Amino acid sequence: MTITFVKKILANGEPCPKCRDVEERLARDGVASRIDSVLIADERDPDSPGLRIAAELGVTRAPFFIVENEDETIVYTVYFKFLREVLRTPADAVSEARELLAVHPDLDRI
Amino acid sequence: MALRSLERNTTQPEGTVDSPEYVLAEAYERFAADRIAISFSGAEDVVLIELATRITDEVRVFSLDTGRLHPETYRFIERVREHYGIEIELLSPDHREVEDLVRRKGLFSFYQDGHQECCAIRKIQPLRRKLAGLDAWITGQRRDQGVTRSDVPTEQDDAVFGSASHPIIKYNPLAGWTSGDVWTFIRSRDIPYNPLHDKGFASIGCEPCTRPIGPHDHERNGRWWWESPIEKECGLHTQNVRPVRIVG
Repeated sequence: MTITFVKKILANGEPCPKCRDVEERLARDGVASRIDSVLIADERDPDSPGLRIAAELGVTRAPFFIVENEDETIVYTVYFKFLREVLRTPADAVSEARELLAVHPDLDRI
Repeated sequence: MALRSLERNTTQPEGTVDSPEYVLAEAYERFAADRIAISFSGAEDVVLIELATRITDEVRVFSLDTGRLHPETYRFIERVREHYGIEIELLSPDHREVEDLVRRKGLFSFYQDGHQECCAIRKIQPLRRKLAGLDAWITGQRRDQGVTRSDVPTEQDDAVFGSASHPIIKYNPLAGWTSGDVWTFIRSRDIPYNPLHDKGFASIGCEPCTRPIGPHDHERNGRWWWESPIEKECGLHTQNVRPVRIVG
């Protein structure tokens, strides 16, 4: 299994706040070493590796994780779901639910 | 599961695979009665219950009782229960999570820091617990309800609540209907509806987060009006060119 973390740099050169938050969480949760590579999606550079891979995979939000197995590539856009399902690390249920809503705003009128 | 023959006299042409009756019949044929349920919001998605009870006697319905619904909605849920002679399972949030939120932030924190945390506790968590015991669920989501729903299909793998070990199918039988279709159907069949709709509420949720709108407003304007409609900061403008599973 290979894990790639894709994070975004805004047009003003700053990291997107959500990406920064997830990067800090990776360190805090002690799982940063499980990430094999990091790609930057730089708004100032359409050819940046992160933007190219996002276009290839059809991902429309950052940050995200690409989990490549022998037979399948899976993209996770919700950090806590990635943490629980891929890294088998307990995730705070309310934080995950909150992130789900942020990533999938269509859920809020269920 | 014993299914009745279908009446096909709604807005979609007879035999159209996307008609709500067709989608519901397929769903109830595919899943055992105790593994599939309708998510009823207490609003115009009562149409789902009307259609489903024409197809099968074994309709399971649940509602997310956030504790903050309008009194009219609670009365309407009760009316629907009596009208159709069905059970409606009310799902409550975990009291510890609610108490913790209120202790930390008070009763109206969503006006300051957004509705996600409150909705996560009062809606998403109970929904997730419920879906852990189902293989499929049915929603009233429609494509005309806003940009976040513009591509809702009638049937989808639920990548949000499902997993590789427990796949879940989500049915959205009304995906192709407009608000006008729904109301034409409700009025033509004399189906009970939430009286808040007569007071200008197009979309009905929790009392503090819902308001009436004008005749030409989009229904999204009636919910969380103090927030921007979509968070753009994390957006990437891309198109998929490689098959991949995006699971949320």
